[in-house]
Amino acid sequence: MSVWNYVVTAHKPTNVTHSCVGNFTGPQELNLIIAKCTRIEILLLTPLGLQPVLDVPIYGRIATLKLFRPHGEAQDFLFIATERYKFCVLQWDVETQELITKAMGDVSDRIGRPTDSGQIGIIDPDCRLIGLHLYDGLFKVIPFDNKGQLKEAFNIRLEELQVLDIKFLYGCSKPTIVVLYQDNKDARHVKTYEVALKDKDFVEGPWSQNNLDNGAELLIPVPPPLCGVLIIGEETIVYCSANAFKAIPIRPSITRAYGRVDADGSRYLLGDHAGLLHLLVITHEKEKVTGLKIELLGETSIASTISYLDNAFVYIGSSYGDSQLIKLTLQPDAKGSYVEVLERYVNLGPIVDFCVVDLERQGQGQVVTCSGAYKDGSLRVVRNGIGINEQASVELQGIKGMWSLRSSTDDPHDFFLVVSFISETRILAMNMEDELEETEIQGFSSQVQTLFCHDAVFNQLVQVTSSSVRLVSSTSRDLKNEWHAPAGYSINVATANATQVLLATGGKHLVYLEIVDGVLIEKKYVQLDFEISCLDINPIGENPNYSQLAAVGMWTDISVQIYSLPDLNRITKEHLGGEIIPRSVLLCTFEGISYLLCALGDGHLLNFTLNTTTGELTDRKKVSLGTQPITLRTFSSKNTTHVFAASDRPTVIYSSNKKLLYSNVNLKEVSHMCPFNSAAFPDSLAIAKEGELTIGTIDDIQKLHIRSIPLGEHARRICHQEQSRTFAICSVKNNQTGAEDSETHFIRLLDDQSFDLVTYYQLDAFEYACSILSCSFSDDSNVYYCVGTAYVLPEENEPTKGRILVFLVEDGKLQLIAEKETKGSVYSLNAFNGKLLAAINQKIQLYKWTLRDDGTRELQSECGHHGHILALYVQTRGDFIVVGDLMKSISLLIYKHEEGAIEERARDYNANWMSAVEILDDDVYLGAENFYNLFTVRKNSEGATDEERGRLEVVGEYHLGEFVNRFRHGSLVMRLPDSDVGQIPTVIFGTVNGVIGVIASLPQEHYSFLEKLQTNLRKVIKGVGGLSHEQWRSFCNEKKTSDTKNFLDGDLIESFLDLSRGKMDEISKQMSVPVEELCKRVEELTRLH
Amino acid sequence: MWREIGDREAGKLRPSSFSNRVKSNRIQTLQLSNQKEIVSPHRGAINSLQVDLTEGRYLLSGASDASAAVYDIQRGTDYEGGGAISKHKAIFVVDKQHENGHKYAVSSAVWYPVDTGLFVTGSYDHHINVWDTNTTQVVMNFKMPGKVYRTAMSSLATSHMLIAAGTEDVQVRLCDIASGAFAHTLSGHRDGVMTVEWSTSSEWVLVTGGCDGAIRFWDIRRAGCFLVLDQSQSQLGRRPPVLQRSATNKGSTAKPLLASQSSFAKARAQQRKHTNGNGAKSSTSKIPVKGSMKQRLHPGMLSSQDRATAHYGAVTGLKVTDDGMYLLSAGSDSRLRLWDVESGCNTLVNFETVRLQTSKPIQLATSPNSPLAFVPCMTAVKAFDMWSGRTALTFRGHYEHVNCCWFSLQDQELYTGGNDRQILVWSPSRLISDEDEGPVKDEDNWSD
Repeated sequence: MSVWNYVVTAHKPTNVTHSCVGNFTGPQELNLIIAKCTRIEILLLTPLGLQPVLDVPIYGRIATLKLFRPHGEAQDFLFIATERYKFCVLQWDVETQELITKAMGDVSDRIGRPTDSGQIGIIDPDCRLIGLHLYDGLFKVIPFDNKGQLKEAFNIRLEELQVLDIKFLYGCSKPTIVVLYQDNKDARHVKTYEVALKDKDFVEGPWSQNNLDNGAELLIPVPPPLCGVLIIGEETIVYCSANAFKAIPIRPSITRAYGRVDADGSRYLLGDHAGLLHLLVITHEKEKVTGLKIELLGETSIASTISYLDNAFVYIGSSYGDSQLIKLTLQPDAKGSYVEVLERYVNLGPIVDFCVVDLERQGQGQVVTCSGAYKDGSLRVVRNGIGINEQASVELQGIKGMWSLRSSTDDPHDFFLVVSFISETRILAMNMEDELEETEIQGFSSQVQTLFCHDAVFNQLVQVTSSSVRLVSSTSRDLKNEWHAPAGYSINVATANATQVLLATGGKHLVYLEIVDGVLIEKKYVQLDFEISCLDINPIGENPNYSQLAAVGMWTDISVQIYSLPDLNRITKEHLGGEIIPRSVLLCTFEGISYLLCALGDGHLLNFTLNTTTGELTDRKKVSLGTQPITLRTFSSKNTTHVFAASDRPTVIYSSNKKLLYSNVNLKEVSHMCPFNSAAFPDSLAIAKEGELTIGTIDDIQKLHIRSIPLGEHARRICHQEQSRTFAICSVKNNQTGAEDSETHFIRLLDDQSFDLVTYYQLDAFEYACSILSCSFSDDSNVYYCVGTAYVLPEENEPTKGRILVFLVEDGKLQLIAEKETKGSVYSLNAFNGKLLAAINQKIQLYKWTLRDDGTRELQSECGHHGHILALYVQTRGDFIVVGDLMKSISLLIYKHEEGAIEERARDYNANWMSAVEILDDDVYLGAENFYNLFTVRKNSEGATDEERGRLEVVGEYHLGEFVNRFRHGSLVMRLPDSDVGQIPTVIFGTVNGVIGVIASLPQEHYSFLEKLQTNLRKVIKGVGGLSHEQWRSFCNEKKTSDTKNFLDGDLIESFLDLSRGKMDEISKQMSVPVEELCKRVEELTRLH
Repeated sequence: MWREIGDREAGKLRPSSFSNRVKSNRIQTLQLSNQKEIVSPHRGAINSLQVDLTEGRYLLSGASDASAAVYDIQRGTDYEGGGAISKHKAIFVVDKQHENGHKYAVSSAVWYPVDTGLFVTGSYDHHINVWDTNTTQVVMNFKMPGKVYRTAMSSLATSHMLIAAGTEDVQVRLCDIASGAFAHTLSGHRDGVMTVEWSTSSEWVLVTGGCDGAIRFWDIRRAGCFLVLDQSQSQLGRRPPVLQRSATNKGSTAKPLLASQSSFAKARAQQRKHTNGNGAKSSTSKIPVKGSMKQRLHPGMLSSQDRATAHYGAVTGLKVTDDGMYLLSAGSDSRLRLWDVESGCNTLVNFETVRLQTSKPIQLATSPNSPLAFVPCMTAVKAFDMWSGRTALTFRGHYEHVNCCWFSLQDQELYTGGNDRQILVWSPSRLISDEDEGPVKDEDNWSD
């Protein structure tokens, strides 16, 4: 039963909705404050750039974010209002570095209809009152008293029915608003009102202006000395005040955001819907406005908010593309742009569609999202993995091995980097300028390939080549001693630590040497049954310089063996099975547990728990990391040891909670890796990949990595086809030819590795692609792409015509195999019992794939089902069909094979406007609805009456606060069958704000435990601004509000791990569960994403 | 539609705007339903229609043959045309044959607003019955002083279970389901009360319209009515310019007897606001919506105000808009008036009515999204634009006078009932996306 669900954010919202600049954290500190719908971020402007100060969740969707400064305060306060009519005033406490709540409250009303154009929140420039326009026909006023405290709020009737914008005017003796509104005849006007606080009413204001630009939507109040207001239209910009009126025509555009440049209000940055940034200048002689000038500066992301920071630095917040930090230059660049993009902040929103793919077939999902809109449209490949921050790189082909060496045994840093090639060895070292430079160690043989190198005790270095082992002084760098391989035998593999060398020569010989001061001593030699493929003597015992055990991988019998040192007695032999030889073995210890890792030539990794005293190998586990041979190396990061598995899919193996975890490294093919902790590059790794040697630091373990593939057009649907190794996307290209915007719709085929465009298919004029599916049909081995379209004609309210197109990918081309006209738009396509199930307007239609006499194929309709307003979202499982309707929640249909008919089985009678549905299991279905809620319904097969059986019972309700566009089964992390969380089914969702979230269906016992924890956490973790978590998560739509049911907020629960020990103890006491146990259980959950 | 869905997906269109836009688009296309049909069991004029407020699933009808019936409007009892047309037969009917049934016409049938377990019928036989839906038994009965014209229950009420009843009598009675007795009577009307309506913003405020042409506002916690609407008071939204305003301000501090209509309305408005604040808000909000405790305890209205009329002739229909800000009234003078509730002003919207039924109360409906007012106009129902008064849609289908209409916002469907004993469903036009082999549809399904 997937009734008990756990909702957690894997990727936080990135859609920047609001931003403002002010002195928030200190009187002298300039801050940028960014709202990302349900989070705020406070940043500090420093000479080094924007430094993060705080990033906190808000229990609400932010509708207004404004900084203001009450009289007599040295720094700004932050006013936040949420879409659910809560507000708070926050102040920064410098001492504790925390937000404190100055005021909070509820401004909801029973009367009035929520405004259609969005909530408006404004603060009087002289800080006399806060104005809110939340309901049509009402203007809410929260006055300040003399001490800057908020007083009781009251409403004033506003007769203007369709308000587009309201702003406070500067320089008025009484607080005065200017209202931009539309009348019954769709004409737009502005009007001013004085707010009479005593009478709690408006007084007719000083001026008004009728019949403005029909596209006028934005007001910009101009500060003193000029005062007045700028009215930004689609074709004109007007400056208006009591005694002046100036207008200029502009190129048709929709201005989305503005930012004021100067304190005196003479220059403004305007960002439009196409991402063009303009500078608007008010020319004036003293205080008299003489005109307006507008100039194109350049292109940015499509701005939703613009904040001018300082010294020509501007923050562009975007909803449709990456947000940017830009610098305005004095001189245009070669393209005539005055905009220089300094930094980009990744934004996945809006995630319109996504698919979960496992391109490397190793059990770890990657999410490929359709992100962004218009010109900023892109695909984003999101996966859980570790990033390498490249710090230096050189081109070097054919690296066969790498080792770092110290200049003396006591030196904490590595000094040399030995790079081995097929017929030479080069040594790199840091020079005085902190650059890597080729150097020499006289005692090393540089004309041959090096098999192994290591630091040795007594300031010595060891080099193993195919003919000999050389012991060299690290101070004088002279050869001190050399051990030669027996004549006729060459050394094949070798390994060493600070005091020991183990090597294998041809003829199945295994030789053990020990290192003392200046001498290599051959201690033991044995002949084994087979040739040796790999060796390791990494010390895992108490002595960090000496190993009691040696691991040996064998050719021919495909086994791994443990030998004791120094006597080379075989302790254990473990057959690996299969035909793939071990290519790398490693002895290592994680969290006090010793393991033997053994990597095979086909990219598989075996791990065993090793008993260091008996040498016994237990708990054999096998995972697939890549497809190529793996080389294992240990490295340490943040004082913890990890293992790097270099292969075509480099992976970091680490342990958490005494479990081995595997995390991808976001690099292509790595052939060799060695830690290189030099003074200039502390804690770095040297990585050899594709003809390049890179030095870089490694990210924190467990982090989502995002790769961006810009498309320059808006991708709406995506689908992956394994057989052709392609992605197909439905995309829209906006063409701006002159004044007219036109759209062209494409089906594009992309390579699933390179994301290069393979081919495309252009749809007809007015034809939109609505759905895409990769599927096969019964009696046909081919795999097709099916595309559902709609002809969206300007005069039609609802499409009456569409098509289903069936394509086959052949030789990198999309071959149109069949085409079926439909009487409406094809909102959804599903593969269903070897047939195609389409949702066409209000009907569910099943098509079979038939062979015509002439050998061609066609789609033939078989049966259908009526009874929906619009069947927008469809999921299937077996014979069951779950339909998410435009406004009638979820219904369950069943396909009856015998009758060849589709019938309704049950329905949820609530009036939920759906945005996505998914089937969690046979009985429980998940839905997301229009007002940012999630809910689950359950089929009631055991109901006593028809009425009960025909009703889907609502079993879970939750306010997510995010608009979900798509659910998909899958996981972002590698699902290891042996872990506890591996058994938990998960669904991934993508939202408009760029959130990627995970819904995990927990066992009931687990759920109840966490529910108790959540209740306790609510008491300990207080929401910013005193907002209540319980209220925030309560299901809320136009019709009703009800408490959360059978959903848990994973973000709250996982914040347990960030609590101080004291608070953890408090919760532990409440729950009567030890802190360790709580941590363990919460940590387990964090591994779901 | 696809474009809007796309805009919603990309966050270009706010979800609430999306649903509002879809609703109003659908309302624009309302027509006689080609997918839903209600099989009326009544043998008399349909006087009252209401869909339950909790699930939006059950339609309750009351008719002149002394019967009331309930239909499931979400799930058809029969299907025709390959499942495309659903027929809805009554789940049950209570009529004269029922042991406690009404003897004469049922003029009003309303659901208990909290759940569908109860419904209330008012009849010309001077009785109000409260029915248990599941057992179809009368659980409570109120004997009224005359024919019952209209009954109403407040959809907001959390602290009372009162049925307001308008009858032939001049007094409005409040019947308390909790106690089974009359809570109290409201006196003021000078003639029978055709229509009663609870406020949608305060559970204590009741609006009544009488045959005397008056529309009275009552706060049921206080004696007497606090507002009588006056059709000649129409200064809504006019705010004095700066200079003049300061003069009146000075004046008002000196408390003159000037009592101009606008300032009088303001005082009452404050009282109204106070009732809002007390009703629900102050408990939840740290900063109450309205704190002004200044109020007039008993208005002690001037007789001229008390005699004010809203219509010439009887007030036959009332409807408060869902946002609680406006009141729509219909009168036997064939006029529709839209009132601003807070100020009590006539908005002077000129509705293009032709003729309204005068003999019977009529049940009006509004839709918040378009915004439209649905009004039975003789044999047709017209939808007027609320702000311009223009006729937006005309629904012709009934053969005789239409008495009642109910608009279901959840489904964007209009239900109308008339003297021709039919209940007609008007739904957004639906394109039938039947495939070629689908059965040919009987488009002419509305006459029989």
